[in-house]
Amino acid sequence: MSGIHLFVPMLHVRDAVGEHTRALRDLLVADGVDCRIYIENPDPNTVHETRHYLEYEDDAVPGDVLVYQMATRSDMVAWLAARPETVVINYHNITPPEYFAPWNNWIARHQALAVLELQDLAPTAVLGIGVSAFDADELRRCGCPEVVVVPVANVRIPPTTPDPTTLAALREQQGEDGPRWLSVGRLAPNKAHQDTIAALFVARATTSPDARLTIVGSPSEPAYARALRRYAAELGMHGAVTFVSGISDSQLAAHYVSADVLIMLSEHEGFGVPLVEAMSHGLPVVAFAAGAVPEVVGDAGVLLEEKGPRRVAQETAALCDDRARRESLVVAGRARPAALGLDRAGSDLVAALLKVAGRAQGASAVPGPDVPLRPASPLSH
Amino acid sequence: MPAGPPTCARGVGATAEDRGKPENQDADPRSGLSAEERGLLEAFDRLRPQGSLGWHFDDAVRRLVEPPQFPGRPNGWAGLPVDLWERGRSTKASERVLGDVVTTVAQDLSEYTDRAVEESHQRSEAALDEFRRTVFDAVRFLAARVDRLESSTDPLGMEAAEFDLPAIDASAWLDAAPTWAAARPDLPVLLGELGDDGLLAALVGRGTDVEGVDPRGPVVWAADAAFDVGSGRVGLVTAIAEVIDHLRGLPDASRGCVVLSGCVDRADIAGKVGLIDEAHRVVAPGGALVVLVTEQSAWDASLAPVVRDLLPGRPLHPETWLAVLEHRGLPAATWHRPANGSVHAVVSEVGR
Repeated sequence: MSGIHLFVPMLHVRDAVGEHTRALRDLLVADGVDCRIYIENPDPNTVHETRHYLEYEDDAVPGDVLVYQMATRSDMVAWLAARPETVVINYHNITPPEYFAPWNNWIARHQALAVLELQDLAPTAVLGIGVSAFDADELRRCGCPEVVVVPVANVRIPPTTPDPTTLAALREQQGEDGPRWLSVGRLAPNKAHQDTIAALFVARATTSPDARLTIVGSPSEPAYARALRRYAAELGMHGAVTFVSGISDSQLAAHYVSADVLIMLSEHEGFGVPLVEAMSHGLPVVAFAAGAVPEVVGDAGVLLEEKGPRRVAQETAALCDDRARRESLVVAGRARPAALGLDRAGSDLVAALLKVAGRAQGASAVPGPDVPLRPASPLSH
Repeated sequence: MPAGPPTCARGVGATAEDRGKPENQDADPRSGLSAEERGLLEAFDRLRPQGSLGWHFDDAVRRLVEPPQFPGRPNGWAGLPVDLWERGRSTKASERVLGDVVTTVAQDLSEYTDRAVEESHQRSEAALDEFRRTVFDAVRFLAARVDRLESSTDPLGMEAAEFDLPAIDASAWLDAAPTWAAARPDLPVLLGELGDDGLLAALVGRGTDVEGVDPRGPVVWAADAAFDVGSGRVGLVTAIAEVIDHLRGLPDASRGCVVLSGCVDRADIAGKVGLIDEAHRVVAPGGALVVLVTEQSAWDASLAPVVRDLLPGRPLHPETWLAVLEHRGLPAATWHRPANGSVHAVVSEVGR
C-alpha cells in the first residue's frame, strides 16, 4: 500500500518542526495512512521512531508521497529532488544566514546553502505548504507551482494544563516581585532576546524597578546564549533575568499563566508558536511586527513597528497598567487560535496531503476528501 | 515595516550591496534611537565572537566551499559587511587566548583560501574536487584543534561582571595617588577598575584628568552619578570594559599613570603579564605604573568559595610582582606597605 512519508533532517522533541512532524505522523496513521518518519541524522531521543532516509529506497511503493519538513539544509534535498515520487514541501522557514554569521559562521553557511536548496527543490514539488502566509510567499517566489497555507499541527487546543508544582513556585516568587515578563524561544540570534533584556533594563530604570524577565528556550547557539547571560550580568541584572530550558509542556504552561506579559522581539519568525500558546493561556503579547508575527497576532496583541528599548519598556508598562486594555487583549487572544484555524490545522494538513496522494495514484486509488485548500493569502486578521 | 523581502528572493535577485545585510537593514534600524539606547544595544554587539579563531576558520571554510559547489549560481549570502570586523570584539578574543602570531596565521589562511578559490576557476573539475576536499579537511582539522585549545584555556568563559567581587579598599593610598599622577601632569591617569571610588575621588578632587575603566556596569554608573560625569564639570571619563581590552585600544605613551587594581588580582598569570605589558606600553616616559595588590590572606577571606575557586587567578605576593615587573622591563619597581588595610602598592617609574 502506498503511503505518505515524512522527511526531516533531524527529529527533535520539544522542537517546533519536530513536534509538528510527529503530530502529523500520528494524524496520518490515525487516518489509516501508511506513514513513517525518515531522517538524515538520528536524535537519540527519537531514533526508535525514525529510519534513515536512504532506507526509504527499500521501502518505496509506487504512489508514495514524500513530505519534506524544511527549515534548514540537508543532503536529503538533492536526493528528494531526484526521486520519482511526488514531493511536497512543508515549509517552516529558513532563518537567514546573516543572523548567525557573527555568532556561528558554520551555521550561517548551512543556512545559506539551505536557501539554495529551497530554490532547487521548490520547482519540483507538486505542492508547497507554508505554515504562514509569510512562508507561503517565500515558497511561491522560489518557484513552487502550487502553494497553500496550513498552520502548524502541534499547537494544543485547548492549551496544556499548567504543572501545579511549577505554578505554585512561580506564584510564590511573583508575590515578591514586580511585573513578570516572559520570553519564549530558542536562544538563537534571530530571536533577539538581547533587545528584551535591554528593554527590561530601561523598564527597571524608569517605570518598573522590580520588573523581572524569564527567558524560556534551549541554548541552540551556545555563543549567543553565553553572550545573553553576560549581557544581563554586565547590566547588573544577575537576579532579574532567569534563563530556563529543558522544561515540559505543562511546566511551560505554568510560566505562561504566571507571567504578566509575553515579549517577543524576534526579527524573523516563520510562524511564532509561543505567541499562540501565550494568547491561548490568556497572556497578553507585546511583539515586534516582523515576519509572520503580524498575521499570527492580528489585533489580539501590541504590535511594535520599532523596538527601541525605551519604546518596548513604555508599551509594556502601559499594557500592564491598563487593566481594561489588558482584559480586552486577553479575550481577543483566547479567540485567536480558532481564528487562525489552528483547531483544524491537523485535519486540513491531512486532507491536503490525501488530495495530493489521490492525484499521485490516480483519483480512484486514494480518494480522500476533496477539501478546498486555503489559498496562500494572509491568515485571517 | 520590519518584514523585508523573503530570504530566497534576496538570494536570487539581491544586489551585491544588499547581500550580507540582515532583513530591512538598508537603513540603520537604530537611527531613531537616543544615544543612550544605542549605547545599550551596542554593549551587546561587543559580545559577538566574530574574529575569534573558531569563527575565522569557519569563515575560511565557507569561502572555500561555497562558491565552487554552486558554479554559475549567485551566492545565497556574500559575507559580512566589511566593517563588521570592527564592530565586535574583533581579534581580541583570539589574541587573548593564543596571541598575535596565531591570529595572523588565521588571517593568512583566510587570504590563502580566497586566492585558492580564485585560482581554482582555472582548474579542471576533477582537480578542483580533490583540491577542495583536501583543503576542506585540513581547515576543519585545524578548526577542531583550535576549538579544543580555546575551550581548554577558558572552559567556563566567565568574566568579572559575572562574579560577585568585593571592592578593593585603596584607602591607604589616597594621599599617594596624586603624587603618582603628578609624574606626568600633562597626561590623564587611567584607573584600571574603580574599586570603592576612593581613589577616584582623591584624583578628581585634585583636578586630575582621570579615565575610569571597569567591566561592571553598576560600578561605572555609580561613579558617573557620584561625580556627575555627564555635566562635563570634572575631568572624568568612564568606560564599561575589561581593562585589558581597553588598554589594547589605547595609543602608546598616551597616559601619565596607570593604576591597576582588582583585575591584576584575579587574572591568571598570563593575564597578569598581559595587563602589565599593555599598561607599560600605554604609560608615557616619566610616568608611573602602579599595581595595587591585595594580601593573599585577605583575598581568600573576602571571597565566597565558589567565586574564589572559579576565578582564573589569585593575588601574587608583592615580592613576586617585583620579579614579574623586572622580567617585563620595569626593574626599578618599589614595594609600599599600607599603613592601614590589606592592599599593597607596587610602583614602577617608566623610563624616559
